[in-house]
Amino acid sequence: MNSNPPLLDIQNLSVAFDTDEGPLTAVENVSFSIARGEVLGLVGESGCGKSVTALSLLRLIPMPPGRIQSGKVVFDNRDLLRLPASELQPIRGGQISMIFQEPASALSPLHRVGAQLMETLRLHQAIDRPAAWATSVEWLRKVGIPDPEQRMQAYPYELSGGMLQRVMIAMALMTRPELIIADEPTTALDVTIQAQVLQLLRDMRTQSTALLLITHDLGVVWEMCDRVLVMYASQIVEEGPRSELFHRPCHPYTRALLGSVISLTGSAERLVTIDGQVPSPLSYPRGCRFAPRCPYAFDRCRAGQPPLESIAPQRRSACFMASAFAQGGDMP
Amino acid sequence: MTAPLLQVRDLKTWFPIKRGIFARTTGYVRAVDGVTFAVQAGETVGLVGESGCGKTTLGRTLMGLEPRRAGEIHFGGTPLWPRRHSASLPFRRRIQMIFQDPFSSLNPRLTVLDIITEGLLEHGLIRPRERTEAGVRLLQEVGMDPDVLHRYPHEFSGGQRQRLSIARAMALRPDLVICDEPVSALDVSVRAQVLNLLIDLGAAHRLSYLFISHDLGVIRHICSRVIVMYLGVVVESGPTSGIIDHPVHPYTRALVSAVPVPFGSGRQRVILSGEVPSAANPPSGCRFHTRCPYAMPDCSRIAPPLERFQPSTGAAREVACLRKHELA
Repeated sequence: MNSNPPLLDIQNLSVAFDTDEGPLTAVENVSFSIARGEVLGLVGESGCGKSVTALSLLRLIPMPPGRIQSGKVVFDNRDLLRLPASELQPIRGGQISMIFQEPASALSPLHRVGAQLMETLRLHQAIDRPAAWATSVEWLRKVGIPDPEQRMQAYPYELSGGMLQRVMIAMALMTRPELIIADEPTTALDVTIQAQVLQLLRDMRTQSTALLLITHDLGVVWEMCDRVLVMYASQIVEEGPRSELFHRPCHPYTRALLGSVISLTGSAERLVTIDGQVPSPLSYPRGCRFAPRCPYAFDRCRAGQPPLESIAPQRRSACFMASAFAQGGDMP
Repeated sequence: MTAPLLQVRDLKTWFPIKRGIFARTTGYVRAVDGVTFAVQAGETVGLVGESGCGKTTLGRTLMGLEPRRAGEIHFGGTPLWPRRHSASLPFRRRIQMIFQDPFSSLNPRLTVLDIITEGLLEHGLIRPRERTEAGVRLLQEVGMDPDVLHRYPHEFSGGQRQRLSIARAMALRPDLVICDEPVSALDVSVRAQVLNLLIDLGAAHRLSYLFISHDLGVIRHICSRVIVMYLGVVVESGPTSGIIDHPVHPYTRALVSAVPVPFGSGRQRVILSGEVPSAANPPSGCRFHTRCPYAMPDCSRIAPPLERFQPSTGAAREVACLRKHELA
């Protein structure tokens, strides 16, 4: 670990939503940090809390019914969770930008793409309209949109999903943020378009912007990330540098996830499955939340929750068996 | 070789574009534009391509859910679809479909029992009093607890709903099941369960599957043969492993190389420029020439036919490309 302070430091973040059936814990005691220029992957299946984690960092969850119960999000020596709205606003879209999964619903359908790009610029920089126009056109060109001057006049419905995601990326990048939070940025796109967008995000890293990449696609994580966090049932279960985590997963859930990836090269052997299903956040099991589906579970796992503990430099795992996994058993 | 279970020849499905107050037809979206292929009994054939390539429309046309403009579909040697409802009934039993979205493909007002045994009653395969027994048997077949017979779809997760869709499709002992992205809406851990179930049922009942997917990994895992579509036409087809390991058509190459895989190491990635053109106004000649890194002047004039081709490495297949001999 380097001694520089991290760009963003999240400590014990817990988020709950009030529902008719009682409070639902979406994120529980999540702690992690992102260094400058780092690409951090946040992986998990639907409902594990990865998107809520990302949205909570900028207080973008609807409150109520959402409630940030505890935690700190330290950015630039300030706790974003306690900042007055007037001070948070310049950070949103300025120092920290977001790219959402559905670009069509993240952009206003009633305003031209150009107007939305220029608004973002003018909110964060003292810049006049002609200069904002020119900068917007330049960024559209940078993200590979043909005929950018014409596209500035287009409404979002006139552009395809891949084009809109490029517009979102241009919008996220042009304020030169220090951190981009990308929530499943390519999930709605076709693979050939996904390849274009991932290439674009890779190219943009040269300006030392950090990226928090939220995805369920382990292939995308492998290609993009330096470090990976794995979430299951509202908690972080494992953390580590990409290669080490992929080659030597130290939590049974990570092992199972990697095992169920369908390879493009392997023979047609039977797929590894994870029995059962993700528990409901309204009725999590008392012990380890993965225990009911875990092939390695023993009595201790069902009695109490394993803490997320350091097992090696830069590696944490929430499993009583973690050290055993760390010593043996490589993945293929 | 015996006659194939399903034979499709030069199938075209066009959707009219209507304009003006008199809804005059001003053009057509050529969603499927001349597709020929066959599925043998017991075979699993994959249909792969990106959104808008016509794979879903092709599946729906085979099911008789979209009217075709031209071409022939033969099922077990008989032309589909007969005009008279009574004549089409036996085919409706023998061809079943599993849809992508397990949330909209199950009627929320019906119980599990109603959903999975409706077809059996409709086709007169069971008597009403045998209903519960048939329902229990079907649920066991797809690995679900028989206790859920009287529940409603909203009480189930995506993976379980897809199991119900499978039970509904399998109830009538079909010969061909058209699966339209059956696992795309599911999480990875559940996806593997559902794929294994489909493989097991296929083997147990000697089913043929037409497996529509955009996911080459899934296709590779489950299909013996694959058909690659681009903008309404087939660009390459043949044995799955042969095509994925040694793609010949430039589009197949780009598609295979674009899939991000864990543990992959520095593969040569073909990044296509631009996007899929509109199917209402497809490019002249080869439809891929606007994005093809190997395009030459002839490609914009001559539509390459889908021809049998034996590359120097990899399996024999059919390819529609003018430069296949240089590229292989």
